[in-house]
Formats: sequence, structure tokens, C-alpha cells
Amino acid sequence: MSDGQFDTYITAVQKECPDVDSETIAAAFLKYQEDFKIPPQDSMRSIIRSLNSSKSVPSTRSSGSSSSKSRATKKVERLSELKADDKEIEIEVEIISHNLREQTIRGEQKQIAFGLLEDNPWAENGDKNRWEYKDWAPSPNLAPGSIVRLEGVSVNEYQGKMSLNINQSSRVVVIREGTRAVVAPGEAQDIATLPSDGYVCVVGRVISSREDQIHKKDGSGSIDIVRGRLADESGTIGFLSWESFEHEVGALLKIDGAQVRTFRDTPELNFGRTTKVELFHDKNFADTETLSVQTVLTISDLRDGSRDVDAVVQITEWAKRTFTRDGVEKYLWSGQIADPTGRCRMSAWEDLPIDENNLPITVRLKGVRVRAWQGIPDITVDNADQVEILETSPWDEDIDFSTQTVEVVLNELATGASRVGVSTEAIVVSIREDSGFIQRCTECRRVLRDGHCATHDANAGNTDVRMRLVIDDGLASMSLLINKEGSLDLLAMTEDDLSTEISSNGQSDFVQTLRSKMLGRNIRASGRTIVDEQGGMMLADSAELVEEDAEMKATEIRAQWGVN
Amino acid sequence: MQASPRAKRQPAWHMLASEFRDATLNEKGSGEFDPSFVITKLGAKVNRVIVAGLLERLEIRETANGSTMYQGQLRDPSGQHYFSVGDYASESMRELTVALTEKIEAGEPELILMVAKARWYQTEEGAVYTSLRPEEACIIDGKTYANWITRACQGTIDRMNAFSASLELEPTQQAYASSDSIPANLVDGLVTSRNHYGEIDLEQYKLNVMQALDIAEGKMANATTAVPTLNLSAADEDEGGSEGSDLEECALSIIRQLDQGDGVDFDAVLSNANARGFSRQDSEAMLDELSERGVIHEPRFGWFKIVE
Repeated sequence: MSDGQFDTYITAVQKECPDVDSETIAAAFLKYQEDFKIPPQDSMRSIIRSLNSSKSVPSTRSSGSSSSKSRATKKVERLSELKADDKEIEIEVEIISHNLREQTIRGEQKQIAFGLLEDNPWAENGDKNRWEYKDWAPSPNLAPGSIVRLEGVSVNEYQGKMSLNINQSSRVVVIREGTRAVVAPGEAQDIATLPSDGYVCVVGRVISSREDQIHKKDGSGSIDIVRGRLADESGTIGFLSWESFEHEVGALLKIDGAQVRTFRDTPELNFGRTTKVELFHDKNFADTETLSVQTVLTISDLRDGSRDVDAVVQITEWAKRTFTRDGVEKYLWSGQIADPTGRCRMSAWEDLPIDENNLPITVRLKGVRVRAWQGIPDITVDNADQVEILETSPWDEDIDFSTQTVEVVLNELATGASRVGVSTEAIVVSIREDSGFIQRCTECRRVLRDGHCATHDANAGNTDVRMRLVIDDGLASMSLLINKEGSLDLLAMTEDDLSTEISSNGQSDFVQTLRSKMLGRNIRASGRTIVDEQGGMMLADSAELVEEDAEMKATEIRAQWGVN
Repeated sequence: MQASPRAKRQPAWHMLASEFRDATLNEKGSGEFDPSFVITKLGAKVNRVIVAGLLERLEIRETANGSTMYQGQLRDPSGQHYFSVGDYASESMRELTVALTEKIEAGEPELILMVAKARWYQTEEGAVYTSLRPEEACIIDGKTYANWITRACQGTIDRMNAFSASLELEPTQQAYASSDSIPANLVDGLVTSRNHYGEIDLEQYKLNVMQALDIAEGKMANATTAVPTLNLSAADEDEGGSEGSDLEECALSIIRQLDQGDGVDFDAVLSNANARGFSRQDSEAMLDELSERGVIHEPRFGWFKIVE
């Protein structure tokens, strides 16, 4: 009854379920097609699944028939031990790359997988060989970075080049799941795409370098090191060399086997004894001056732990502060700075020629570092000569950065650094049950749980109002905490109104009312953000629902879509 | 309050029911806190959705272990979502569910918007169904619904465009990631989707979007079929009839699908219908009715066959 229309699919299903006869499979395909209008390519998987689940077939491809006449297995450790006509090989390898492609084999469309594998997978830095492989019935167990044992594979030689064939009867056993990003050794990566840890190879130009010392914490002496910065056209990265490093600013280097370590939020290259540093020749590589432009950052780019930062900013507030450390009175100057991308703080350990009464002024900062406190970046100026006061500012004099807010899309806020003075628009996807009145610790302002503070124990607390939402732009989400003023504005209520409503209707009713007003709607909020490994949080001092005209938007969508 | 080794919150997709319902593929990482996804034909890797529509049914279900479970259906211009609210749901979600159940029983349908987790269910026979577990929901008005529709349509169009662009490319991570026409959040899903679903026909989704846009624009006459959306009173009237025929269709398709020659046993019909949101009680009544009408027969006790 099937007239052979499913033959290719039946063959494919039988590969997975060798013990099922073709009539049963054909009947299944026909049923799907006739009854549910599901073509065989769509129903194939469901059929395989149902056939498999009925008698839990192991996910390996060894079938009963082939094992009866199994040949002697040749077990090897290195690819170099193999000869061109070797079959039934067993070897442990690391999968370096894995690609799928459709290929027509004897008039039949088939999917095969191919890529590179590497022997000696357990040695961290040993001698390794790479071969290409082809998987004729792609195993789901092959993934880049995984270490697998291949059983029953064979060597293929073509024009003197050897590769491995993973056959339909081969077994693939995963020994370690793929986690490590795999990069060919000796192949340079762009600085911007370096991983946050691991060994890498880069080609870059030295754009700064200075000798430094690390003092051992136990006081047993110090180590001479060299710190600096390396750049290519994609970005820059700081480095720390534990070995002598005599290359000058401007030198173009190929550095193999450098280790990336991430301190705070900032990755740094470490050069040690096993790192190979050599001069590299490339006439077309960007010159030092061009590359140095990249170290000029805007406030939105600042990350905790950044070093060698250059920036042009406006100082909007500045004050001298006194503190006592180890019984000695010390001074620190600090204040607010801003640029067109946002605001943050700055601190200086030396007196700068700044007149507090003649602000704002514009300054150029060179080689400063960044610390963050409660998520807000704080630029640290160690020497007065890192600051140059500019006569004119590069932007319009009239802009008052101290009150500006910068519009940023949510996804960028959620994946970027913590920022001050930003606003965003996104969909409300959650209204937390504790929106409304809360009690804050009288000592630390933390929210009390059952009248208790995590550090200051039971206390009466101060009443505050805040709303806790989650907003989402389809790409990322963020918590949104709206302070008292912002919440009351958004609700168009006074604190008394709110108190009356909650006490008469109850907290859960109040929250449910909020949901009816806000869930699924577009909200615009402004404030500052704190972003860490836990995710992003916006502390907003104002928020409003965005009114939308669905009719107009629908017409617009239709017009842009161009389908009638 | 939060467990510390937790994956970041997954973003929510605005999605029409037809796209979510058509999905038969899921993905779950091996780690305890790895999120699970339903992957749609258009390449959306869905862990969480924002959906809206007319609440068509919402009923309490008996479960084997004595816990409470509500099951419901939400209809948007493209089709229905099935969802369930159990004891695991937040207190406010359960309170709302009870209130909504009462409204439905009193014949007061409501427009609902919900933020929900995508669930995936496979019957013993291998059929795959998707459903939703709402986290938060609320009653909305027609205006908010229309705004939701425009967002869901925009999302669907964006995914269709990315899908069409993907047809020109090798279905690999690399090829998709370097294409300007495929947004980064669709790369993974499209690679998996293309390799799983093969050729798909966008025509149905296009029709769904056009009809949904008509509704959002207020051109109800253009929304060709009688979709019970904003027109609540009309929807109310044909409620009883459509529910019955839905269940009838569902029961018959289950029997047709599962019949290996000897008919399908009573429990298989009921549990499959249950996965589609019909109570065992209703299904049992439907089996009786179909037997009486001579549409199905019972060759042996407890086994049902369609009369040929």
C-alpha cells in the first residue's frame, strides 16, 4: 500500500531501530501522513522515538548481526600508529570541530558530519596530531570539545592524506562532555574574542609597558614584573609578564601560550615561562597611534578592574575628604563625573588643580584605573599628572550631564557594565508579591524579613514603599526596583491612598490589581543599573507605562512586512 | 530566596498559539539548573512566553495523587494554548485560577494575558504535545490584547524572515551567526529547528499573522473565519458546540492514530485526551456518545475502534 514512497525514510528509521520490520514502519508513516497530514520528514523522529521507547534500545549503533562476525580490534593511542588500510580501530580522541552537511550518495540525500579530531586528548600541552574525520551517520555524541572513545572506525587514505571514517557500525562513547573552547594552537585569536580564562595565542602591538613590582603579602620580598597593554584591531587587553619582557611600545608580537586570567570583570594576559613571545612581521598591522585610540573609553565602557584607561570626562562635583587610617589622617578627593554616555564617580589620591566653585570642567584622563563600589564604576587617579584640564570640551557646552539620562536598550544594559543615569523601555513580565510597603533596617536600609535584618537582627524598621518587577525585551531580562517616589507616581497614589487600599483589599489583591494594569505592557524606567553574575538590576527613581496605539502599529507592521 | 547556582532568567517570547502548538522538539541541558526549551519550527528556543487570548475552558481535574490541578485553554487568533495550574504554582496564580474557574462556570469568558513556562509532553505512543504553566496572569481589556497581538505578530514576522534567510544558508551555527538577516537569539534555535523539522510551510503562519493584524486593526470582518476573540458574546454562544466537536475530533483522532488493528484501550484514549486538556469524565461521556451514534464500536470490552 505504501508503493515504496517511504523507502528512503524506512531505511533511515531502520538504522535506528534495526529490529523493526519495514511494513510496521511504513504503516506508521502512512498513518501520520493520512490521518495527521504530517509528511514523513516530520513524522520520522516521532516514529523512531515511539519504536525505541517501546523496547529501550541502547543508543549505540552496534547491532546484533554485525557483532557475530566481529574482527579483531586494533587499539591505538596515537594517530601516527595507524596505517592506511587499518580497520576496526579503537582510539580516544578530542573532537575539535564538528559540522553537518547534506550529501547526495547514490542518488540519496544523506546527512553526514565531518570535522577535525585530535589524538592524545588527556595531555594538557603534549604533542598532538590532528586528522579529519567523517561520520557517515552523524552521532549525537560528537560535539566540539568533547573527548570520545571511537570503536570500530577505519582509516581512509585519499591522495596520500589520511583521515578517519566513523562508520554506521562504529560506536561513539563520550568520556568527557565538550566544555573547553577549542582553538587551533598557534592560530592567533582576536583580542576582543578571547575567552575569560585559558591558554591563548594572540598577535598584537604593545601600546604600553612599564616595570612594576609585586610585594608578597607575607613580606618575604617582591617580584619584578612588567605590566602593559597589547592591542589589535579588535580591541586591547592588559598583560602581566612574570618573565623579563624587553619589547618596547610599538613592537608587534606573536604570543603563544599566554594564559588569560580574569581579575574582577577584566581579563588579563599572563606571560610565564612556557609562553612563547616572538616578533611578528605584518606590514599591514595597524600602527600604535591607531590602536591607542581604543584605550579611550566612555563611561558606559568602564568595567571594574579596568586599567590603562584613557577618557575625556566632565567633572560636575568635586570635594576633599578626610579619613583616618592606622591613626594617620589622610586625604582623598572625590566627586561626580559625566560624559555623553552616562555618569560615575572619580577619586584622586593627589590634589588636582580643580576649583570646586568653578564646575563643571572638562578633563582628559590618561592611564587611570577603575574600581567599582556597589556596582558604580569609580575612576581612580593615582597621580596628578594623569589628569589634564582641557580649555574646551568636545561636546556642546550647554549639556548638563549631571542630570541627563541616556536611553539604552535593555539587552545592552543587562549584558554591559553597571551604569548610572540610564533609561530603558521593556515589557513587564512579572510583578513580585512584595511590591508595596516594606520595612527597612534602621541601620543598613536592607529590607527586613519577618522583622529581622540579616546583619542587625530584629529591629522595628522604617516603612518604605517600593515596587519590584521584572522587565524583558525578548532578548534579556532585568529586575526593576522602583523607589518610593517613582512607585507612587506610577500608581498615581499618595502613600495614604496606598495604605488604605492595601489594608482594605489585602496585599495579594493589590498585587493582582497591579498585574492587570501592568503585566505584558511596555514600561519606561530611569535610574541606575547594577550588573553582576546573578544578572542585572535597575534601581529606578521614575517609571511610566508607555501608551501604544495597536491599530496604528498593526497597520505599520503590515506595511513593513509587505505581504498582503 | 534564590538558589545561588542558578542560570539567568530566560527572556519571554511573544508568540501566537499556532507556532507554539506546532513545536515537537525540546532541549534540556544536563545540569540541574539548566533551563529546558521547546524549539519551534521558526527557530525560537522557548523557555518562557507571553501569550494572551480568550479563556475558553478552565476546569479542575482529579489527579492520581490527590493534588489539585486545573487545566485550561486559551484561544488567540491562530489557535489554542493548553495550560495547567497545579499546587506548584504561586499562591496568587492559584487564587486567580479559582476566581477564573468560577467566571467560566458562570459563563463569563475573559481575555487573559499570561507569562508562562513552556512545557513539553510525550505520550507513550510518541506523540509530542506542548503546553504552558503560567507563572503570572491577569485579566486584560481589548486594548491590551490588541497591543499584545501586534507584538506577537511582529515577533512571528521577524522569525519568519530569519527562517527564510536561513534557507539560503548551510544549516550550521557558523553560517547563521555570520548572517546579517538572522538575529543572534535565533541562531541556535534555527540550526536545531532546520535539522529537525526539515522543510516547513510558512503559509499557515502568514495567514495567522494577517488575521491577527486584522483583529488588532479592528477589521473584524476581514478576520475571515469566526475567531472568537474580541467578540465575547458570540464566542460564548458557540462555546458548548465547539467544545463538544473539539473533543469528538480529538477522541476520534486518538483512536485512529493508536489503533494497531485491535482497537485502542479505554485508558489510552482517556489519557491522551487528557493530555490535550479534556477531562476523563468528558472523554468517557464522549466515548459513550460515539458508541451510541455508531461512529465507534467496542470489539472487545474496553477496546474501541472506528466503524469503517
